[in-house]
Amino acid sequence: MAQTVLTFITKIDPGKVTQLTTLLEQIESNQSSNPFVPFASLKGLHFASFVIFDDGDCGPDLVFENNFDGALDAYLEDLLRHAGHGLHGIYSCCLGYTATGSYDRQKMTAYLRAHVVWPNAYHIGNVGRGAERIHQETTLRDRIEVFLDDLVTDGKIDEPLGSLRQRIQQFVSDDPSLTWAINVRPRQTIIEQFTPWAKIALVAMCALLFLPVLIPLAIVSVIVLRRHEKLDPDQFRPVSSAHVQHLAKREDRIVQNHYAGIFRVKPGWFRRVTLRSVLWVANLIARTSTRGKLMGIPSIHFAHWSLIDEGRRLLFLSNYGGSWGNYLDDFIDKASTGLTGIWSNTTDFPPTRFLVLDGSRNGPRFKSFARDKQTATRVWYSAYPDLTVQNIDNNSAIREDLFTSLDETAVRSWLRRF
Amino acid sequence: MAQLEHHDIQGFLLSSYGHLPCATYLLLRISDVASSRQWLARLTDEVRTAVAVSKAEREQEVFSVNLALTHTGLSKLGLDPAALATFSLAFQEGMAAEHRARILGDTKDSAPQEWHWGNADNPVDILLLVFARDEDALEAQLRQRRNDIVAARGIQEVSALSAGRQEDTKEHFGFADGIGQPVIEGSGRLSRQLDRTGHATVLKAGEFILGYVNDYGVVADTPSATGMPDFGRNATYLVFRQMAQHVAEFWRFLDDATRRSDGTSDQAARERLAAKFVGRWTSGAPLVKYPSGDPHAGTSTLNSENDFEFYENDGHGFACPIGAHIRRANPRDALGPDSQTALQSAKRHSILRRGRSYGHRLANPFVEDGTERGLHFICLNSDIERQFELIQQTWINNTTFSGLQRETDPLIGNHDKTDRLFTVQDDPLRTRVSNLRSFVTVKGGAYFFLHGLRALRYLGSLKDSIFHYQTEWRDE
Repeated sequence: MAQTVLTFITKIDPGKVTQLTTLLEQIESNQSSNPFVPFASLKGLHFASFVIFDDGDCGPDLVFENNFDGALDAYLEDLLRHAGHGLHGIYSCCLGYTATGSYDRQKMTAYLRAHVVWPNAYHIGNVGRGAERIHQETTLRDRIEVFLDDLVTDGKIDEPLGSLRQRIQQFVSDDPSLTWAINVRPRQTIIEQFTPWAKIALVAMCALLFLPVLIPLAIVSVIVLRRHEKLDPDQFRPVSSAHVQHLAKREDRIVQNHYAGIFRVKPGWFRRVTLRSVLWVANLIARTSTRGKLMGIPSIHFAHWSLIDEGRRLLFLSNYGGSWGNYLDDFIDKASTGLTGIWSNTTDFPPTRFLVLDGSRNGPRFKSFARDKQTATRVWYSAYPDLTVQNIDNNSAIREDLFTSLDETAVRSWLRRF
Repeated sequence: MAQLEHHDIQGFLLSSYGHLPCATYLLLRISDVASSRQWLARLTDEVRTAVAVSKAEREQEVFSVNLALTHTGLSKLGLDPAALATFSLAFQEGMAAEHRARILGDTKDSAPQEWHWGNADNPVDILLLVFARDEDALEAQLRQRRNDIVAARGIQEVSALSAGRQEDTKEHFGFADGIGQPVIEGSGRLSRQLDRTGHATVLKAGEFILGYVNDYGVVADTPSATGMPDFGRNATYLVFRQMAQHVAEFWRFLDDATRRSDGTSDQAARERLAAKFVGRWTSGAPLVKYPSGDPHAGTSTLNSENDFEFYENDGHGFACPIGAHIRRANPRDALGPDSQTALQSAKRHSILRRGRSYGHRLANPFVEDGTERGLHFICLNSDIERQFELIQQTWINNTTFSGLQRETDPLIGNHDKTDRLFTVQDDPLRTRVSNLRSFVTVKGGAYFFLHGLRALRYLGSLKDSIFHYQTEWRDE
């Protein structure tokens, strides 16, 4: 099942920011049973967030982030059925909203549709696994683990590998509550797997075809880029302690954390075009990532980049596993090139060369930049707060190989998944 | 390679003073600023620097004094707010700050409210580290230090934490400790560490000493003060945690977990599981190299062969479990995406360990004797968040470390939650130990700054120029 990643971005009525903030606080303080947005009732939802960005001359904006299963239509219907009341309260604080009550589904739907922002680039850590499937596979693994504990206690582990595996298969088949485990749908259809590579091949072919035009264009671009890089102001303003405290206090409550930030794109059409192109390429490549890693970073569940305000600002949202410090270190140690290629087009980023060099490799300064641009998430929901991308992949693999025919080596590595 | 300014660096930064086996850490609080400054100015002349001494001189050395301050200490001595704001946020907030306690795993019994010192009830300004050659010399030193403190009349002793001479280099659970230690580039200690353990990681001076180039190839921001822009040069952050170890509880838990089906104790299985918890046999021999037994079992020889990698030599954790203490505390090449990147990345989260055990060895490791014992954990690093705190949060107390679930460090992790596990990977099937308990309780702690000598003199010479600096602390 494919996942959809998008945001609804609306302008907040400046006079109603406080009212909205209070409402969002109520939701956040009681996520599981608040009467406004009962996230857990939305079965296909993975991660969601509400962030208020007040960016001086641009704000205030409300960003409602959604990472869910299936297509927008069905999700919107589900969303309004369960959270119509709360969303009406929330969007009553926003400009251009005309519905008079949560009964007015048509107007609410139209409003939300009109404010959908599709990401320019996005990443999904556990491609093709729906929220329900993730929950089921966690249960399956937990159940088998307990069964294995008994096998160990009973001294059954000296049996041949085959019969060990048979016992596990038997255990699952015999349990009527686990019958769903037997039939596994593939994570992606053949077409879903094939399409991203086909697109890349097509792009490569076009590039080859237009090489005579592209080479001079590239040379000119590099010259212009270097000029820009030399002229970009290099002013470093360390992030304030108060801001970091404000952010850190909300973090590290569950296995995952959330990052939300809006970045100003450097002035001029050149940077806007460059960033749009980089994101386009990044998205092309990100679609081929089916093993949980984004540029070598193994911890990201959902991340998206959206150009907003005609490309003048870049919205970045990320739902990642582990601590902020570790996440940023991964960015620096493993994905410097990619992230520098993107963020070097935004203001206050550490100086770069040739778009992707230097930049985030100046670790302390990059971290200060990343914290400075981060905005506290008002409401943040995770459907599986105990799991990392790796955990989910491992649980899927346990189930996918449970009833397939495996040779001895494969059985051995399957058993290592527990 | 960086030329270290040994005359300005405190000796404790470069040496753990192995030749001075007796130590007491005096925790002090300032109540009068002017006299505290005078005391500090006098003391600074006696602070041991890192200037190299000959072997003969070292053998003659009787004692060594070093000194570090907390953020409140610096504030009371009169460092202005602008200067105080140039220190790392972790240091400014302190170890007991609510969200720091959360990431460090200091909850329930280990929560700052329960601490003996370092919390809001019993704050600390100064850490005076006194090391001596023997008990008598330590006693004499302490007498002199206390006389000075009493004479200064502006300083109170909050606590005296003694780290007495231990019979061997084992910590209280019974394991050889202090084997792995990074080497500072330019410190001349590479060959020593290689001789001792067969393994050494050389790191840029800036990882441990402020004002030098670090592993990112830059000089990180260093605290500065009015009139002394390089105030933080040659200094480092000192992390202190008093960690009580529940030795009998540890061994009884292991004993229960490894009993035979007839209910009798199985010594070999118990010691094996203990080794699995740690990742080393009690002699220090690493499981990665000696998976089946301790090469020095029953002898007093310590084994410190430390040249191994986890992913290269034991990728599945069949020898040293994925969640074992040493694999969490320093994952070396284990965390991917490939060995080289992982090693490079892990290097940036190194600490210099300077801890010493306190309390007497428990006579019968299965029977508690009602006295407290443990480790005065001290580590040094130039970036508390990236080094000490990351290790503690992302590795030690991370319930999903390296793909695991519901596990924290079996030895020193926080096991408040009742369902904490420890998985011992094996071929063909793992075993799991369940319901782990916390075998360590934090009893106190603070983040200190181990200044350079010039900075200490600067502090000692501060004058009350602006009125509110004086009143700020009196109002508390």
